[in-house]
Amino acid sequence: MHIMEGFLPHPWWEIWFIISIPIVAYGVYKLSKLAKKTPEAKPLLALMGAFIFILSALKLPSVTGSCSHPTGTGLSAVIVGPGITSVLATIVLVFQALLLAHGGLTTLGANIFSMGIMGPVVAYAVWLICKKAHVPNAVGIFLAATLGDLATYVTTSVQLALAFPTSAGFFDAFAKFGTIFAVTQIPLAIGEGILAVILFDFLAKYKGHLLAALKVIKLPNGPRLQEDSEQ
Amino acid sequence: MAHSDLSTQIDRSAYTNRFANNSPITKTLFSLSALIISVSSPSFIVSIIVFVVFTTMLLGFAKIRVQFYLKMLLYPTFMLTLSCIFLALFYGYGEPLTNIVTPWFTWTIFKNGIAMSITTFLRVEGAISCLFFLVLTTSITDLCILFRRAHAPKILIEMSLLIYRYIFVFLEVSTKMNTAQDLRLGHSGWLKRIRSLALLAGNLFIRALEQGERTFTAMNARGYDGTIYVLEEQPKPKKAALAGIVLFDVLLVFAIFFTLNIGVI
Repeated sequence: MHIMEGFLPHPWWEIWFIISIPIVAYGVYKLSKLAKKTPEAKPLLALMGAFIFILSALKLPSVTGSCSHPTGTGLSAVIVGPGITSVLATIVLVFQALLLAHGGLTTLGANIFSMGIMGPVVAYAVWLICKKAHVPNAVGIFLAATLGDLATYVTTSVQLALAFPTSAGFFDAFAKFGTIFAVTQIPLAIGEGILAVILFDFLAKYKGHLLAALKVIKLPNGPRLQEDSEQ
Repeated sequence: MAHSDLSTQIDRSAYTNRFANNSPITKTLFSLSALIISVSSPSFIVSIIVFVVFTTMLLGFAKIRVQFYLKMLLYPTFMLTLSCIFLALFYGYGEPLTNIVTPWFTWTIFKNGIAMSITTFLRVEGAISCLFFLVLTTSITDLCILFRRAHAPKILIEMSLLIYRYIFVFLEVSTKMNTAQDLRLGHSGWLKRIRSLALLAGNLFIRALEQGERTFTAMNARGYDGTIYVLEEQPKPKKAALAGIVLFDVLLVFAIFFTLNIGVI
């Protein structure tokens, strides 16, 4: 997913920075409010960041100036909300550029927008819809993580197609970039969905009280969680 | 995990290279200014100049091992080559260069598609050499101090340092658990391997979180108030070095204007 350093030509890398910066700034505001209110959530937040880092470092090459990997931002968006997730993703993307030379500094704006903003927003929206529809939590988490991951890739395809339209125009380029991504990404997204369900289950089982203290997520209504949150 | 090897090696190089004791401000300015100029430049010659200059600085002056540098370049270059072939085949309009005729369809390759593909290839290689220069000569701690001096939000720096630490906690815990599973024959056979992996994935998260919470409690017990104090003594940037960077950037901008009309093909 990370578009590599220097791949986006002149007007585009600046445009994605301009779009991403205000949203991340809003996330920083939300994050500092949360850190003041519940400082004990900081280890969980940092762990979410490390989780995003590790998952999105497991990359497979893809033919489109970018690569395929799980993103890990879906689970984070469900637990701490899309605003804070955008900040975590920003930090992770900077580290990946600086520690693994994966992604880049000039393409940071574009990468933040796809992995840190669009993915989490879609995941969070899916999670809210699933909750409204009283779908079991496991299904909700699975759908949120899977669709959030796919949304990231659709966004990357749009970004690449805008920068490199083909002779038949933007939509043709979008279809081509998207098709090539889809081959590797759909199985990965499903894998990420399953992993998110396992992790969420573990978190709810052992750290239910922390999730309750956070209050950023709406606590699932499962009987086990109720017990935990009452402790 | 191959990536952890790479990140440890990059981290080590950032502390042990010949430029490790130079001012981080100088190094950051040098690589970022050249990066921005070369990525914005429509001329591919500037990309080549940047690549040559930065590679020389890294190998000749910072004394980064040639083998290590080539290993780092290999993966991005491999991906880039695939992407550029893709661009050359699909991108472009206007003047067709050639047609590939097969019994089923006719594929048109455009001249500006090939040009775009080559320009992109060179631009990425130039930009990557700038990024590598920064990454291989400057440590993350130094960069965090720079962010703090630039008055970045406090919470952002705090989270960055915590996440940085947690990445290593994560890797450490997963290595330990993997070794434990291996010792108990958890990796003998395909099915056991999958089961072990599932157990590791689930438990890793909780273990790492608990280890992190203990660290956090320990930090709180020592009066942690949201600021992580690190030794902030950094060498001051030398005036000569700053002047050199400005001169280099001006020369690059001139090079853009002089080479603007040179086409790739």
